Amino acid sequence: MDNYPALIVVTPLLAALLAGLAAWIEDRLSYPIALMGLALSTFFAFKVLMQVIGSGTIHYRMAGWAPPMGIEYTIDLLNALVLLLVSGIAFLNLIASYPSVNQETNDRAASFYTIYLLFVTGLLGVTATGDLFNLYVLIEITSLTSYAMVALGDRDRGPIASLNYVFIGVIGASFYLLGVGYLYLKTGSLNMADVAHILSGIQGSSTVLVGFILCMLGIWIKMALFPMHVWLPNAYTYSPVAFSRVVAPLMTKVMVYVMIRLMVTVFGLDYIFNTLHLADAAVWLATIAILAGGVMALAQKNLKKMLTYIIVCEIGYMVGGAWMGNQLGMTGAILHIVNDALMTFALFLAVGNMVYKLKTIDLPDLKGLFGKMPWTMAGFVLAALSIIGVPPTCGFFSKWYLLLGALEAGAYHFAAALIISSLICAILFFKVFEICFFESLAGGHETAHGVVEIEEAPVSMLIVSGLVSLSIIVVGLYSGTIVNSIILPFLK
Amino acid sequence: MKFLGFIVVCLTGALLLYGTGDFSNWGDPNSPASLHLSNEYIERALEETQVPNLVTAVLADYRGFDTMFETAVIFCAGLACFLLLRDFREKKQRFYRHIPTGVILHVKNSKKVLPVGREFEHIDKDWVPSDLIIKTVCRILVPFIQIYAMYVVAHGDFSPGGGFQGGVIFGSSLILIAISYDLKILVRRIKEKVFGIFAAVGVLIYVGIAALCMPMGGNFLDYSKLAPLLPGDPHHVRALGMLGVEIGVGIAVTAVMVIIYINIVSEGRLEEGL
Repeated sequence: MDNYPALIVVTPLLAALLAGLAAWIEDRLSYPIALMGLALSTFFAFKVLMQVIGSGTIHYRMAGWAPPMGIEYTIDLLNALVLLLVSGIAFLNLIASYPSVNQETNDRAASFYTIYLLFVTGLLGVTATGDLFNLYVLIEITSLTSYAMVALGDRDRGPIASLNYVFIGVIGASFYLLGVGYLYLKTGSLNMADVAHILSGIQGSSTVLVGFILCMLGIWIKMALFPMHVWLPNAYTYSPVAFSRVVAPLMTKVMVYVMIRLMVTVFGLDYIFNTLHLADAAVWLATIAILAGGVMALAQKNLKKMLTYIIVCEIGYMVGGAWMGNQLGMTGAILHIVNDALMTFALFLAVGNMVYKLKTIDLPDLKGLFGKMPWTMAGFVLAALSIIGVPPTCGFFSKWYLLLGALEAGAYHFAAALIISSLICAILFFKVFEICFFESLAGGHETAHGVVEIEEAPVSMLIVSGLVSLSIIVVGLYSGTIVNSIILPFLK
Repeated sequence: MKFLGFIVVCLTGALLLYGTGDFSNWGDPNSPASLHLSNEYIERALEETQVPNLVTAVLADYRGFDTMFETAVIFCAGLACFLLLRDFREKKQRFYRHIPTGVILHVKNSKKVLPVGREFEHIDKDWVPSDLIIKTVCRILVPFIQIYAMYVVAHGDFSPGGGFQGGVIFGSSLILIAISYDLKILVRRIKEKVFGIFAAVGVLIYVGIAALCMPMGGNFLDYSKLAPLLPGDPHHVRALGMLGVEIGVGIAVTAVMVIIYINIVSEGRLEEGL
């Protein structure tokens, strides 16, 4: 069937509406509808990836109108990969999250699933589209749904975190929109390929330069690049666990994808690295982001918040790699989108299991967790090793590409930051292991909320957690294949 | 920190000013924005879509995919309001007003609704008697506002208007009932559930029409493939498709307007408030 590209995005949207309708009739219907929608979407994304690998880029015309007039979905190797990643993670998380959603947002579970599906629709649409304005509309959907979700989290701090996120997120989206406006002024088009074609003739224009800077700033705010990261830690820490597990691995990674898409497809690497002289500044910014993220993570007492600062640090890796100006760096950045999504997902799955049983995630409360939740902790350790960058986990390989890229470009400060941040991550995670492994635990588990009996989390959560942790090793072993069959052909 | 903010604002302003250096002149017919796509829309839209209003043709057909998601954004907004504000907890105190005499009973800490009979009505803490003049004027106005709203929706493909505007006007008529009478009167006539269902159904109409084009052999949103299902001249099928989605948008916007209003003014209780 040739409608797969549209169906990837439309199926979750339809499922969201049906789940919302079903909630008024019978609450319990929403979950199976949501599950079905995401399963189909994942299947379509897989089909599309196979098709793109087999026969090249797919162009899908919405309403049948030819590109500059209408909206077009352009699916090449890069977005096919990210589409599969997004839909797959969203689907797996939905399987794992059923118990947590019932526990945390019991009376509004149906609305939760509806918003969740709309959020995933937004991410998929952002990834699939080949139109600058359509991208903005879908960013709006993802942002709006995540504001609602964050506010739904922690009763005291969730709404404040969400309000912060709203203010900064709206500014980010407006910057992007303003940038697109500047570009439209000079090109009169919104289709990415068409804009790229026209831009190649007017590279000296100051309006294009400002448009480029505004788009980048907007996307950087959305992806929480230091120092625009202030919204992220609180928003992700205080959102419901079922949502933070999907937003933490996906939202920032999709925004990194958008940045790479704008750089490679719309403005062109030639324009960015040969005409403009911003690359050095961006790599320095990324270096600072890596170090700042790491240092701030060291200061945290709450595991979930610590992980959110690690996300800030990882964003630095990808931005730095993409702005390195050579193929190795870009390869590393793209590979790291996949790897980091998987690692972060695995970490947050483990955190979700802990929260489900413990109701708290402060570091001192995690004593003796290895004994009580061995499988959860196994997944956590594997993901943590991957973040540190121990071979053969996937985190090692993307860091290796980034390191080689940095050395080739002569960006020794970035290479040093990579190594230092790996050390910081090692310190961070071994601190957690120490608390969980060595500190003893007798009988019940004493936390700030009183004594809780803990045991292993429900099977569905464990299976997903195990699956994702294994995929970290599998993707690590096959990273050569991913690079050779997907990333390098894309960059040519 | 304030000083830092000032510097950032100045820098951003300077950047924006620098960008204007290369702008084309105001209203210049030779600027790239008016040469590239606009001409093609102006020349071809009427012929290709049979819709005399170019804005509608671009909005609901050429870029209909964007508009579909804009409708989804509105649905999100309504859903978010409902999700965050709606409060299902029981009221702690209740007020009953004896209609003939105007005496008000205040019952504290009562979980149950007292069986008070028809002579009493339930009122809010901040209840004010509704004004006869306002009630009467609004009662006369509401049907006209609603007819006008439907006209705006239905006429969107010929004149300025369409689902968003019409939906807002229709929603405002319902909100006017709630303001001039009482929130409870509105919620009693049209249940909250109905608004919720309508919001989803409105978007579903849009997505459904768009998705229906795929089994009919076209791309997503390709209204022209719906010709076998619709009566009349096959040339007008695009216009009919647009009318269909505009109606969907109108329904969704109406429902979301009301959902947002009733949840915000009553702090999610749907009982108290304006």
